[in-house]
Amino acid sequence: MRSCLHIAALILKTAKRDKLLHAIIVVGLLIILFVPAFSLFSMRQVQELSITLATSTLSFVLLVVTLLTGATSIWRDIERKYTNALLGLPLSRQAYLLGKYLGIAAIIGIISILIGCASLVAVKIAAAQYKSDMPILWGTLLVTILFDTLKYLLLLAFALLFSTVSTSFYFSFFSTIAIYLTGMASQEVFEYIHGDYAQKLSSVSLFVVKGLYYLLPNFSAFNLKVYAIYSLKLQLSGLLLTIGYFLVYTALVLCLAVWSFSRRELL
Amino acid sequence: MKKWLVFFLAVLSISYLVLLAPFCTYMNNRPVAVRLGYMPHATVLKLAFADYKQLIAQDAVVRVLFYFGSLVDTTKRTVKTTPEYFHMFETLQHAVRLDPYNMDAYYFAQAAFTWELRKIREVNDLLEYGIAYRTWDAQLPFYVGFNYAYFLKDYAAASRFLQRAAELSGNPLYTNLTARYFFEAGQTRVGLAFIEQMEKNTLDPRIKRMYQMRREALHNVDLIEQAVQHYQQQYHAPPRSIEILVKTGYIESSPVDPYGGVFYLTSSGGVQSTSKFALIQRP
Repeated sequence: MRSCLHIAALILKTAKRDKLLHAIIVVGLLIILFVPAFSLFSMRQVQELSITLATSTLSFVLLVVTLLTGATSIWRDIERKYTNALLGLPLSRQAYLLGKYLGIAAIIGIISILIGCASLVAVKIAAAQYKSDMPILWGTLLVTILFDTLKYLLLLAFALLFSTVSTSFYFSFFSTIAIYLTGMASQEVFEYIHGDYAQKLSSVSLFVVKGLYYLLPNFSAFNLKVYAIYSLKLQLSGLLLTIGYFLVYTALVLCLAVWSFSRRELL
Repeated sequence: MKKWLVFFLAVLSISYLVLLAPFCTYMNNRPVAVRLGYMPHATVLKLAFADYKQLIAQDAVVRVLFYFGSLVDTTKRTVKTTPEYFHMFETLQHAVRLDPYNMDAYYFAQAAFTWELRKIREVNDLLEYGIAYRTWDAQLPFYVGFNYAYFLKDYAAASRFLQRAAELSGNPLYTNLTARYFFEAGQTRVGLAFIEQMEKNTLDPRIKRMYQMRREALHNVDLIEQAVQHYQQQYHAPPRSIEILVKTGYIESSPVDPYGGVFYLTSSGGVQSTSKFALIQRP
């Protein structure tokens, strides 16, 4: 566990000097800065639009960070022979991988807090410009930001899993994007095949689609933006189920990643 | 593979299976408003999505269709929740601002917001916006013309748009048929003719079903209206109720309102239903 934390701390230290990461954060904060101004494009829903823009910006920044750090981290270490040096020390492969996960997860968490706080200020300013019929539920907004972060932590687990499978940067990068897109769409596809359209599909196709639905990650569960925008009441049992789902699914993917990485030949 | 890893994987897999059933139930029972989502203002979307704005517009229209489908499909002929019509219409408005050529948005607006909600002027505004872009399309002026004539009784405006529809299609059917129906037949027959054409042109089963219901209702109204007309010709007074029409043999039985209401006659002999020809809402 201690070696895990050492690796995580090392990654955090490296991130401090990562100019690309700095650039992404600055761009994210700049977009947030313009949220009150952009929100005025809406005639009646200034507050709603500001929440949408702020949460969407956070989502986008976290996606880019997850892809760039998660899908390239192990590949970069192998390419630069860092893994040879690190794993030559008394450090197990699972500690290295889990340390990587913790370190990148901490980066995602810090960025989420940074942009999340900026978002709250931007929403407050935007909402002050035009009085909305709906109150801002700050708690719901915070939960929305938290769950959005959890979504990218789950995606990060996938990015690391793909990184352990292939040496190619492209494989892990594009597989992570593919998982992200399918995970975002799986719920809608599932609902789609439960309507009239299901009658047109063969039983084999239905079986495959349903199988994939249960197997692939369901990222829609982490999308609570509408609750924050329309000040809807959150369902506690649903939130707890989603947290449980996150913990179990992430642990499963990380276990697979550990297993895959332990079998990998590092030349 | 190490034993502890196998053990962990087994425990996690079982946990996942245990969690899956309640999790999927929760996901599939989320409020419909959540599924419809929120669409930001079109100006912002245009800036943010540049080349993909048509895709975003289509996605918005499909979401509205899904939402609408979930209201009608799952509860058959009743709706359990108050439909978010305002947000549906707003989403469509944003969608056409992003992609003014998107016919699905116009078609759905005409299908869902005229008969059910009587938002005729709003729908006509949307359709007239589309006419400015879809300059070759005869259907949009036909819809606008129909709405002006049938719902708003503004025959001058209607003839202007129907004329345009006829010119664009190169087919005088639009003007001829509509004019003949307006002058020779009652409003119900005009509605029936329009719905039959809309039903014929639609591919979406949900919209088709909606039109089938509407056609069935109008067909039954037409049956009663015909019977009332014959009764009046013979007795020189309107019948007091539909039961009298059944007793006197003008209709075999009291027609059923597919919207769940009961037909009745107004004092002037007009046909109405307790459902007001909209899906009866259950609490």
